[in-house]
Amino acid sequence: MTESVSDLIVIGGGPGGYVAAIRAAQLGLSVTLVERSHLGGICLNWGCIPTKALLRSAELYRLMGEANSFGLSAGSLGFDLDQIVARSRAVAGRLQAGVRHLLKKNKVTVIEGTARLIGPGQVAVEGQGSLTAPHIILATGARARLLLGFEPDGRFLWSYREALTPDILPRRLVVIGSGAIGIEFASFFAAFGSEVTVIEALDRILPVEDHEISALARTAFERQGLHILTGATVTGLTKHEHDVEITVESGGQTLRLPADRVIVAIGITGNVENIGLETTQVRVEKGHIATDSLCRTDQPGLYAIGDVAGPPWLAHKASHEGVLCVEAIAGLPGLHPIDPKRIPGCTYGHPQVASVGLTEAAAIAQGYTIRVGRFPFAANGKAIALGEVDGLVKTLFDSTSGELLGAHIIGPEATEMIQGYAIATTLEATEADLIATTFPHPTLSEAMHEAVLAAFGRALHI
Amino acid sequence: MSSEPRQFASPLARRLAAAAGIDLTKLTGSGPHGRIVKADVEKAKTATPPPHPAPIAASPTLPAPAAPAASAGYTDLPLTPMRRTIARRLTEAKATIPHFYLTVDIEMDAVLALREQLNARLAPDKLSVNDFILRAVALGLRAVPEANAAWAETAIRRFTDIDIAVAVATPEGLITPIVRQADRKGLGEISAEVKSLATRARDGALKPEEYQGGGFTISNLGMYGVRDFAAIINPPQACILAVGSADPRPIVKAGALAVATVMSVTLSVDHRTVDGATAARFLATTKSMLEDPLRMML
Ligand SMILES: Cc1cc2nc3c(=O)[nH]c(=O)nc-3n(C[C@H](O)[C@H](O)[C@H](O)COP(=O)(O)OP(=O)(O)OC[C@H]3O[C@@H](n4cnc5c(N)ncnc54)[C@H](O)[C@@H]3O)c2cc1C
Repeated sequence: MTESVSDLIVIGGGPGGYVAAIRAAQLGLSVTLVERSHLGGICLNWGCIPTKALLRSAELYRLMGEANSFGLSAGSLGFDLDQIVARSRAVAGRLQAGVRHLLKKNKVTVIEGTARLIGPGQVAVEGQGSLTAPHIILATGARARLLLGFEPDGRFLWSYREALTPDILPRRLVVIGSGAIGIEFASFFAAFGSEVTVIEALDRILPVEDHEISALARTAFERQGLHILTGATVTGLTKHEHDVEITVESGGQTLRLPADRVIVAIGITGNVENIGLETTQVRVEKGHIATDSLCRTDQPGLYAIGDVAGPPWLAHKASHEGVLCVEAIAGLPGLHPIDPKRIPGCTYGHPQVASVGLTEAAAIAQGYTIRVGRFPFAANGKAIALGEVDGLVKTLFDSTSGELLGAHIIGPEATEMIQGYAIATTLEATEADLIATTFPHPTLSEAMHEAVLAAFGRALHI
Repeated sequence: MSSEPRQFASPLARRLAAAAGIDLTKLTGSGPHGRIVKADVEKAKTATPPPHPAPIAASPTLPAPAAPAASAGYTDLPLTPMRRTIARRLTEAKATIPHFYLTVDIEMDAVLALREQLNARLAPDKLSVNDFILRAVALGLRAVPEANAAWAETAIRRFTDIDIAVAVATPEGLITPIVRQADRKGLGEISAEVKSLATRARDGALKPEEYQGGGFTISNLGMYGVRDFAAIINPPQACILAVGSADPRPIVKAGALAVATVMSVTLSVDHRTVDGATAARFLATTKSMLEDPLRMML
C-alpha cells in the first residue's frame, strides 16, 4: 500500500477509535483505522477490562474467606498471583480478538502501524506509505502522567501497566493517587494481603465523588486495613537494595514510608506528541486536544475523541464521542453535545462506587435548592440475603422541578446499577416517573427506588 | 381537544414548561424523534417574555442600593434561601395555576359548645377550633376524594392517604408541616400532633419528611381577626382552605334575624384538577361536619 483513499481515517483503535470506525461503517462510509499496538486500546488491554478481571479474583477470594458465614467450608484458601494475572491477560486477549472480528465484519480496513498527520487530509503510516481522507479522527488516547522523581523504573516504581502484570505480590505497597485507578489497585493488592498505603494530595479519596461517598469509602477501606493519608504530598524517594523509602508531607509532619513497590496513579496525559499536530491549527490545552461540542478541532476535517480530547477519562465517554463525531461527519440531524452530567463514573474496588450527575456540594454551589434522599443497603432485603449490607444510595433532586440532579451509590453492584439513574437523567425523568416505576423484588435496585422516595419523605422501608 | 396529536416531551420539560407558562404545542423538540427536552423549554424561556406580566406592576420599581444605606429611608434585607424558595414557588403558583375561589359561611356554635365540654374533661390539654376544622376537612376529603389530588402535568394524581398540611408562620416564613392520615386520627391525636409540629416548625426542628408532600393545605388566620381571605395554592396540591375568624354575626334563620357564631372559609382550587361542583361538594360536607360536630366523633 502506498496511497489509499477513504472517507474517514481513524487514528487509534481504543474504545473511542474502534467504535467510531464501526459506526462510520454502519453509516456507509469507507473507513481506515490505524492502530500502532493493540486493538481495543488501553481500555481493553491495559485498563478497564484487565483490572476488572483481577478484581474478580479478589472478590472471589474475599467471598471464599467468608464461606463459613454462608454455611460452606472452603478448606484452606490459597492463590497464585501468576495464574490470576494470566487469567486477566487471557480475558484482554479474547476481547482484543473480538474487536478485530467486529472491525472485519464491518469492513473497516485495519492497518497496524504508527500514524501521523502530514498535511490536511493526509496521514503517513510509518514505513507503509500514506492515506488520504476528507475526515480524520484522532483517537490516540492517553498515558499515565509521570510524577517527577517517581518515574517507572522497571522495578520498584510501577505505572498501571506494571501493576497489571506484577512480578511479586508486594508486602508493603504505596499507591500515590486515590482516583478510580489508584483505588482499584489498592483494593486488589490489599485483598491478597499487601499492606497498602494510599497517598492523596487532596483532602479526601475519590475526590470527584460526593463528599459523603468519599467518607464512606474511606471508612470501609480503613476497616479492611488500608492506610489512607489525605492532604499528603510525596516529597522524596530513596531507593535501597530491596525496597524504597518514600517521604510524605502530611499536616505539617514528615513521614517516611518503606515500600516494596509504589504505584503512581496521579492521572493521565493525552497522546498529543509525534502525531503531526504541528502541521495543523489544532490547539493543545493542558495536555489534550481542544475540541468543540461535536468533537471538531480548529483544523477543518480533523476531529479528536476520547482521552486525547480531555476529561472525563472514561471508555464510555470515548465511545460516545466516537459515535457523536461520526454522526456529525455523516450529517445526521438532531445531534446533541454530550452532557457531562449524564456520564456515569465507576470505581470497582470493594466497596464499589458509582455516580452520575452532580455531587451535593456541586448542586448547592450551582444554586439549586435540593432534596436529598438516602437509603442504606442494610435496609434492603436482597443485600441482607447476599450478606452485603454496607453502603447506601443517595439521590439529589431539584426541589422545584423534580429533576434528578445526581445519584451516588456505594455498595454491592453499584457499578451495575448506576445505569438506571443514567437512563433516568437522559430521559429527563422527574421524581414522579422514578417513583411510578416498579422495581423488581428482591433486588438491590429497590434501594434506588427507596432513595428516590426518601428524597420526598416517602421511603417505605426505613 | 381530543383530536390533538400527542405531544412528545420529557417529563422534566413538561414540568418546566407548565411552571413557566409555556405552551408545549408551540415548541419544536430537539430530542430524539422531535421530543421536547429541557433545553428546548429553557430556550423558549429566554426567547419569549413570560405570558404573565409581573404581578406587582403598580408598585414603583426600586433601584438596587449600592450599599445598605440606612439613611436612604429603607433597608434591604438579604433573601434567605427559604424566602427565595417561597417567593419562587408562590409566584409560580399564582401565575400558572388557574385558581378559582369558593366561600362558605359555617355556623360554629355547636363546635364551640362541644369543645368547651371536651376541654373541661381533657384539662389541662385543650382542643383548638383548628383541630375540629382539620378533622372536618379530613372527613370531607374522605367523602370527596377528588379534592385530595394534585396536578401531575400528565395526570391528575389522586392521593390514597389523607395527608393534610397546616400552614405555620415562623420567623423565616411560612412552613407547612403535615398531619398524615388525618382521617384515621381522633381529635386528641390531631391536636397533640399539630401542637408538636407547630412548636418544632417554629424552632426550625422539622425533618424534611414532616413538611414534604401532603394532599391538601389549611391556612388559618382567624386568630388574627381576619374575617375572610383567599390563599395561594400550595402546588402540586389542588386545594387550599383559608380559614377566617369565628365571630358573632347576624344571620337569617327561618325567616327571622338571629345571631350565630359564624366562620367564613374560602377554598382556592386548581381548576385543572378539580371542578367547581366537586369543590362545592367537598365544602358542603366539611361544613355539615362542623355544624353537626357529633358526627365527627364517630
Ligand atoms: C488501569 C486503568 C483502569 C481503567 N478503568 C476504567 C474503567 O473501569 N472504566 C472506564 O470507563 N475507563 C477506565 N479507564 C480509562 C480508559 O481506559 C480510557 O478512558 C479509554 O481507554 C480511552 O479510550 P481512547 O479510545 O480515547 O484511548 P485508548 O484506549 O488509550 O486508545 C488509544 C489507542 O490509540 C493508539 N495510538 C496512539 N497513538 C497512535 C498513533 N500515532 N498511531 C496509531 N495508533 C496510535 C494506542 O496504541 C491505543 O491503542 C482505565 C484506565 C486505566 C489505565
